[in-house]
Amino acid sequence: MGVFVSLHAQNKQLLYGFKDVPQQILLNPGAQVDHRGYIGVPLLSHIHFNAGITGFSAFDVFADDGKDFSQKIRDVVYNMDAKDFFGFNQQLDIFSAGLTLKTSLEEMLFISFGMYQESDVFSYFPKDLAVLAYEGNHNNLNRRFDLGQLNVSAEVLSVFHLGINKKINSKWTVGVRGKIYSSIAQASSTENNGSFRTVQGADNSLNHIFDLDIKLQTSGLSFLEEPNANEGLAVLKKRLLFGGNLGVGIDLGFTHHPAPEWTIDASLQDIGFINYSKDVKNYALDGYLEYDGIQALFPEAVTDQTAQDYWDEVSTVFDELFEIDSTTTAYTKWRPIKLNSSISYNFGRKTDKECNCLDKSDPTFQNRVGAHLFAMKRPNHLQWALSAFYYRKFFKGLQLKTTYTVDAYSFKNVGLGMSAVLGPVQFYIMADNLLDYQNLAKSQSVSLQLGFNYIFKNNDN
Amino acid sequence: MKKCSFLKKYLTLIIVLGACVSCIKDTDFDQATPITLTPIMEVNFVEVQETSTSFLDASGTEKPFISDLIVLEVLSSDFIHDHLTKAELVFEVTNSLNKAFQIKMDFYDPADMLQHSFSIDIDNSPSHIPLVTEHTEVFEAMSLQALKASFKLGITITLVSSATGSVLTPDSEGNLALISKGILYLEYTQ
Repeated sequence: MGVFVSLHAQNKQLLYGFKDVPQQILLNPGAQVDHRGYIGVPLLSHIHFNAGITGFSAFDVFADDGKDFSQKIRDVVYNMDAKDFFGFNQQLDIFSAGLTLKTSLEEMLFISFGMYQESDVFSYFPKDLAVLAYEGNHNNLNRRFDLGQLNVSAEVLSVFHLGINKKINSKWTVGVRGKIYSSIAQASSTENNGSFRTVQGADNSLNHIFDLDIKLQTSGLSFLEEPNANEGLAVLKKRLLFGGNLGVGIDLGFTHHPAPEWTIDASLQDIGFINYSKDVKNYALDGYLEYDGIQALFPEAVTDQTAQDYWDEVSTVFDELFEIDSTTTAYTKWRPIKLNSSISYNFGRKTDKECNCLDKSDPTFQNRVGAHLFAMKRPNHLQWALSAFYYRKFFKGLQLKTTYTVDAYSFKNVGLGMSAVLGPVQFYIMADNLLDYQNLAKSQSVSLQLGFNYIFKNNDN
Repeated sequence: MKKCSFLKKYLTLIIVLGACVSCIKDTDFDQATPITLTPIMEVNFVEVQETSTSFLDASGTEKPFISDLIVLEVLSSDFIHDHLTKAELVFEVTNSLNKAFQIKMDFYDPADMLQHSFSIDIDNSPSHIPLVTEHTEVFEAMSLQALKASFKLGITITLVSSATGSVLTPDSEGNLALISKGILYLEYTQ
């Protein structure tokens, strides 16, 4: 097997808890907020992109090693298994802002709101179907080709959100964020079952056993059939602004300081669902058939039935087997729920040399070290990642955070994030899998987040 | 001390940022060529199960032959036309009748023109022990084109007199069974 590097789609271990970046509050509505407010630069306040694949990298296929290209593809296919997956996630803040309603330090209410657009594509690798395509059923008698491995989903949606963050006292901050989802287009085939097998037959050489239970649910795809591109685009714009299939959800989170040096925080994101009722088209393939060939019936000898009749029957049976039922029944899908949690230790306050006391201009801790856990529900498994992080405040205007992340596949994911403030403008950029950036082709995952905000600082910060 | 750590910080930052400057090495993206897959599918084909009565007329006398015609629409499908590069039909005939046969397979196109033909000779089984005859018909080049042009298969089982064979009666022991499969060599390029 090749070297595996995990896909970290949607794990934003660098942004989580990075309190100088306003968008951290989207990961934990109960995060600690150190500024009075912010306005995200429209369309530029949060750009997130992540694409990844497990099981192989572009280098495995495109390495300039003189090996036959087809053979390399074949090797990749045979090295992967049905647990490998491909994922793509993209988020774009359309607008976002936050403001403090009460400015008393000990008790403040921070309201944040905005709208972002998100795309998510996720697919497991249907290994059995790939083998069937490569080899056919020859030399694979009795092998059960599992159709359940077919598991694909894709969605584009917009999310409007409003969050309330309340600092209860110096130890506790809690928050909740309500979300309205508007699904622009969605397609998923994640509940498949069944198999195809060829076994030795009783009456003929072989017996083919088709056991099909495949479903595809789609909504919002009719714009693809729209002959006029402009009208199609108009439909999409309308859906972006609550014209799509709607859903609701909430995020919950808290930050706790059992002691000034210690921080424990956690959040649950996207506890919610979308009800797909508009522009729905579902397809189902459901049937069972054992087929042992065409029996030649000699009409003069037995009955009036000819082999033609028999063939017609067989054709009908196959047509029925592969008949696709189409419905427009509404369906509901849960959003992929995400958990973030971290524990960290803060240390190193600035000292003023002249008086040998704490620097009053910046009383905050300059360093933070901790561990962060991320988990996300995927159709067939729980995707998880564990990170160690170190945060360092260089000056008021420059903060860095570095992470080292391990998960089921990778033990070499180093990430770096930076937040810089110039006057009221705050800029951040974060990327992980930096070790792979020496040769991007070897990377199986590319992740980048960046954004610009206009920040209203705290008077004391 | 403070200045030193300040320098260190910047140095670290520069080094780390330098490491971020990514590149793609030792790769050749031009080598991407269409992938050709060559799966081999095994599919059931015809089966025949006949006892002696199948070969007798109403009065109980032997017919010279029996025949049937099978429509093979699948052979004229676009998929087969485009992707089939070779085919084998593998027959296994088991005879325990004390009668020799010739099984003839005739492939006709939609206009009933004969495209391809072959036959399998089956020995009689004097002691009714199942005698197995295997035959593999390979379709390549010209014969493959003939197969793709075919639409119907005529199966004719002719009764053959032989030195040790007997005349079939309704009570003759044994039967004639034919099982078969097609091995389809497919090729598609993506």
